[in-house]
Amino acid sequence: MIHSVGSGGSGGSGPPDLTEILKKFTSKFRGGGSSKQTGAGIVGAVVLALLAWAALTSFYTVQPEERAVVKRFGSVVGITDPGLHFKMPFGIDQVQLVATERVLKQEFGFRSAGTRAGGRTAYSPEQFEDESLMLTGDLNMIDVEWVVQYRIADPIKFLYEMREPTRTLRDISESVMRRIVGNMLGSEVLTIGRVEIQQKAGEEIQQILDGYDAGIRISTVEMQDVVPPPAVQPAFNEVNEARQERERMINEAQKRVNQEIPNAKGAALRTVAEAEGYATERVNRAEGESLRFSAVLREYREAPNVTRSRLYLETLNEVLPTIGQVLVVQDGQVGPLPLLDVNRTGERRATGEER
Amino acid sequence: MKSLALAVLAGLALVLGSLSFYTVDEAEQAIVVQFGEPIGDVISEPGLKFKMPWQDVRYFDKRLLVWDGDVTQIPTLGREFILVDATARWRINDPLLFLTSVRDESGARTRLDDIIDSVVRDMVSSTELEEIVRSKDWEVDVEELDDPALAERGDVNLEQRPQLGRELLESGILERAKDSMPALGIELQDVRIKRVNYIDSVRRQVESRMTAERQSIAERFRSEGKGRSQEVLGNMERELRRIRSEAEREAEEIRGNADAAATRIYGQAFGADPEFYSFFRTLESYRALGENSTLMLRADSDFFRYLEQAQVQ
Repeated sequence: MIHSVGSGGSGGSGPPDLTEILKKFTSKFRGGGSSKQTGAGIVGAVVLALLAWAALTSFYTVQPEERAVVKRFGSVVGITDPGLHFKMPFGIDQVQLVATERVLKQEFGFRSAGTRAGGRTAYSPEQFEDESLMLTGDLNMIDVEWVVQYRIADPIKFLYEMREPTRTLRDISESVMRRIVGNMLGSEVLTIGRVEIQQKAGEEIQQILDGYDAGIRISTVEMQDVVPPPAVQPAFNEVNEARQERERMINEAQKRVNQEIPNAKGAALRTVAEAEGYATERVNRAEGESLRFSAVLREYREAPNVTRSRLYLETLNEVLPTIGQVLVVQDGQVGPLPLLDVNRTGERRATGEER
Repeated sequence: MKSLALAVLAGLALVLGSLSFYTVDEAEQAIVVQFGEPIGDVISEPGLKFKMPWQDVRYFDKRLLVWDGDVTQIPTLGREFILVDATARWRINDPLLFLTSVRDESGARTRLDDIIDSVVRDMVSSTELEEIVRSKDWEVDVEELDDPALAERGDVNLEQRPQLGRELLESGILERAKDSMPALGIELQDVRIKRVNYIDSVRRQVESRMTAERQSIAERFRSEGKGRSQEVLGNMERELRRIRSEAEREAEEIRGNADAAATRIYGQAFGADPEFYSFFRTLESYRALGENSTLMLRADSDFFRYLEQAQVQ
């Protein structure tokens, strides 16, 4: 993210005369013996090397997401925008590239480990419990993972106010998160407190970093997994299950009620209807029989003896043939005289019975 | 010969030049030292500077530096053993004094270790854990707690507002550290508690407490469920009985009324001539005699009257 390009030495103003140097150089090889010429050749070679070095160290590129902080003899002279730029060679000018346009992030309690196929992030299997375990206000423990996203707002301050701005950001983030979580109940942190924590943490971290003049602007603090410590999680799950079971039991009872009460009401209506049916039938039968009797009675009143005999004989006439056995008893006799019933097919024996 | 001499002279000039120039970086401040003794003022403006070739330059970082203490095990006032990790920000604000007192950063770190570690230890061991974890604006109303187990925790006082709280604890540590620090040319900017955790054995205790707590809440939910469902079913039974018995009562009433009405109707009709009614009705009942009946009649029954003779007797 930050590069430092430089080398040492003194500077020259314009490019030296190439032809002269070339002449010196070639004369050295052509000539031979004279020490004066060898000396000049060595100087030429050195100068050539210096020129090459100068060419390499006199320009630099700034990528679109970067800015460059330029120092001359160690003193900051300015910031340059993206593109190709020239600077003083031989390390007189030093350039440090700072990614100011990118949103950077720091992860706490976990590390993402690249992207899997399909675009999903892979996570390191390590736990990073030192970072993620913390105490809540009710002195319980909780496991918090979070991400801080930030940008380098002022590259000069970022480089020259603090020696280790990123490490400080991490230290302060951990300290602030623990302060905020330590000021809330564990149950709140697990549920409703997440948004509040994110917002407060962002504000506090920014405030402290501004106090250091760190040149960092916090974009967001995002909570990731916030769970009870691993050893306790099964018990927390058990609570949720028990809560659901309570609801289930109550609902089932209510369901039974909703089934049986209407059933019972229906049965009640049927009972009453049956009774009403009975009532109607009873009264109607009574009225019918009464009317019939009253009609016969009227008839009887007009000719009592005749009607009485007629009724008697008619009845016996209907009834006798259907009776299984008719026995005739005479006064003074021990056993009855059986009546031989010629209508039957002789299945019956005529026996004397006395009851 | 002359050019060789020139080259040697040029080389010497270069060497001399490199010994007379030095740069001070934006991030640095410098002191010129002559034969071990500091000369002149602190140079804090960056850029290209001159000095005598026999003089040395000592560099000091001008920026805010980080001190990170070891994680130490400290008992709180309430005898809970916790692990505390503190960090601090400091600066070399008087390089001259710094040079003469601690010489360099590793010397400074050793002194800072001693001072800050002992201040942190002192303050933590004289403070309750609640004061360390919570902040001054801690506010909890025990009445409004969602979590039933919290209200019943015996080991922690939930409503007690800290007298110190985290922020004041940290600034207290800073003040004391500053006080007990001799003049080292160092400025301590802040001390913060980065991490506070239980030691392993305490952690296990707390975990089993948390587990037991949750389990009792779960148990409570389950028995609440049973209780409420029993209540609902009990009410249902009562309601069912009420519906059934009321219906039966009404049915009986209807039947009773009908029976009474029928009796009245019969009574009115049959009462007009009771004797004829009994005759009529008895004849009707003879129709019930059937195949399975055996009838015994006297020989002088009305039915047989005309079987022997036709005349009236």
